[in-house]
Amino acid sequence: MIAIIKYWRGPLFWLALLLLAVFCMGQFEFLFRQLTPDAAEVIYHRESFAQLLLNHLLVVAVAACLAIIIGVLAGVVVTRSWGRDFLPLVSQVASIGQTFPPVAVLALSVPLLGFGDLPTIFALMLYGLLPVLRNTLAGLQGVAGSTLEAARGIGMSPLQVLLQVELALASPVILAGIRTSVTITIATAAIGSTIGASTLGNPVIAGLVNGNTAYVLQGAVLIGLLAVCVDSTFERIQHGLALRYGG
Amino acid sequence: MTSEPNRVVLTLALLALLIVCLGDFASVQANRIVPGQGLGLLAGLGWPWMTGIVVGLLGLAGLALRPTGRRYGLMLGLSGALLIQLPVALAWFIQQHISAEQPYARVGLAASCWSLLFIGALLLVELQQRVVAGRHWVKLILVLLFGVSWLLIGTGALAPLALLREYSSRSSTFWQLLYGHLSLVGGALLASLLIGLLVAWLILRVQPLQRPVFALLNFFQTIPSLALFGLLIAPLSYLSAHSPLLQQLNVRGIGWAPALLALIAYSLLPVVRNTCVALQGVAADVIESARGMGMSGWQVFTQVQLPLALPVIIEGVRITTIQAIGLTAVAALIGASGFGSFIFQGLGQGAMDLVLLGALPTIVLALLADALFSSLASWARAGVQR
Repeated sequence: MIAIIKYWRGPLFWLALLLLAVFCMGQFEFLFRQLTPDAAEVIYHRESFAQLLLNHLLVVAVAACLAIIIGVLAGVVVTRSWGRDFLPLVSQVASIGQTFPPVAVLALSVPLLGFGDLPTIFALMLYGLLPVLRNTLAGLQGVAGSTLEAARGIGMSPLQVLLQVELALASPVILAGIRTSVTITIATAAIGSTIGASTLGNPVIAGLVNGNTAYVLQGAVLIGLLAVCVDSTFERIQHGLALRYGG
Repeated sequence: MTSEPNRVVLTLALLALLIVCLGDFASVQANRIVPGQGLGLLAGLGWPWMTGIVVGLLGLAGLALRPTGRRYGLMLGLSGALLIQLPVALAWFIQQHISAEQPYARVGLAASCWSLLFIGALLLVELQQRVVAGRHWVKLILVLLFGVSWLLIGTGALAPLALLREYSSRSSTFWQLLYGHLSLVGGALLASLLIGLLVAWLILRVQPLQRPVFALLNFFQTIPSLALFGLLIAPLSYLSAHSPLLQQLNVRGIGWAPALLALIAYSLLPVVRNTCVALQGVAADVIESARGMGMSGWQVFTQVQLPLALPVIIEGVRITTIQAIGLTAVAALIGASGFGSFIFQGLGQGAMDLVLLGALPTIVLALLADALFSSLASWARAGVQR
């Protein structure tokens, strides 16, 4: 038990700070009062921080899950013998697509889907797909041909080779892609407030519109803590995976 | 030459055919406020034009069934023609549906026009690797596409396009925003190169610093842009309130100052990481033999290490620039000048054409930066091999 806590102490520390910030922001009213002495309200009250955090996580989770499923599937399909025709196009599109600024993709999904959570999820999914896809391709192509030969030689079916050899060996690289994807997704979901998604970006945007620096700071601290908390969790998972595969 | 069908081109051509037949080509709006009325290919362009596009796509699909070297050339030509006819088709559409007495009427691009553009681009990407000197042909097609568009815009034939209507009512702001966007990106790039190369030099000398420096730079990259911009507002406005010098420089809690600081913080990681990797990647025996030839330490650095490391360093600058172009658009939220202003204004007013006027130039800037630094890197790589 203690070993587990010790292993996860980084993420747990950030999680504790995040929860503290979410539930005890009101206790720090005197500090925020210093920032905006003239404002009528110094603590953002339009929605509760817990509600915003939950919705932010929901938007990110749905988008990231879709991105991971589609990205890994597409990566697998174009590296099979029957899908290999599409490999050059897909890998080129994955690298060109990453030059598109996330905020532009977010804005362009509004004419398609209107305002709200849905276009945000769509844009995040589309953009988050690229790092996952790119790393899946890199990971699968990095598996040595002799390894595949050997796996087939001991009588593994194509599905077994894929699941137990190729994806297993590629998993550290794929996980690195997922980490990049989730980092971008959390950051872009915050900007999603401008297209009507209800996320932790709301206090920041409201504060910028009303000139209330305290609101901005509260939103910024929460978004930052959330990002660091999730990223440090990924760091631990990657660390564990590297230990297991001796990487 | 294989006679297997090219399934990629086949799929793309049939997909384009489906969308072209079902989707609207463009829409007509009487003014900026009223909803537009979408028109399909037949209603919008008439049957001769529609037949041309359909035959072109069918021809593409047919050639893809039994591709040979020459047929790939034909396919590339057809794809190029499909793209280049788009601005002409739009001009024709405008002539058919907008009269000179409607100064506020505007034409918006609809599903089938966008997908022809998108699928055409995918076709070029797929075909450029199948044709001898494909890259150069694709460049020629792009030059022709932009040339034709430019010509039509110049004659005013495309003036009722919604995007151009938005532009013409804000043309001076547009160029100001371009200047603001470029100067923020350029400033951040310059500063992060100076600081980044210095930091890289330092941590290559003092190895124990490497871990903490990379941990810090990675930490910055993890913080979402909106959060970092927000976190900088309070301290900067405090500093500005207490320093007349900063006030004279127009450093305030919002505006260019927090944007530039955040951009530099984000830009440092790619620059420092790539510089370190590149300089460490120069093999020790290469340096040894350069010393053996009697080169001084400075000569080894400028004549051996730097040229060998340059392509990787430029790759870092490429990543930095693309990232900075996107982040500058976000920085419009904290009052920094850039194309983000149009995006967020448009979102606020529900004016999608204005959003487009901000988003498209941002994407174009990012693509141009990508092309520029990619060719710089390959030029540097070629220099090494000579």
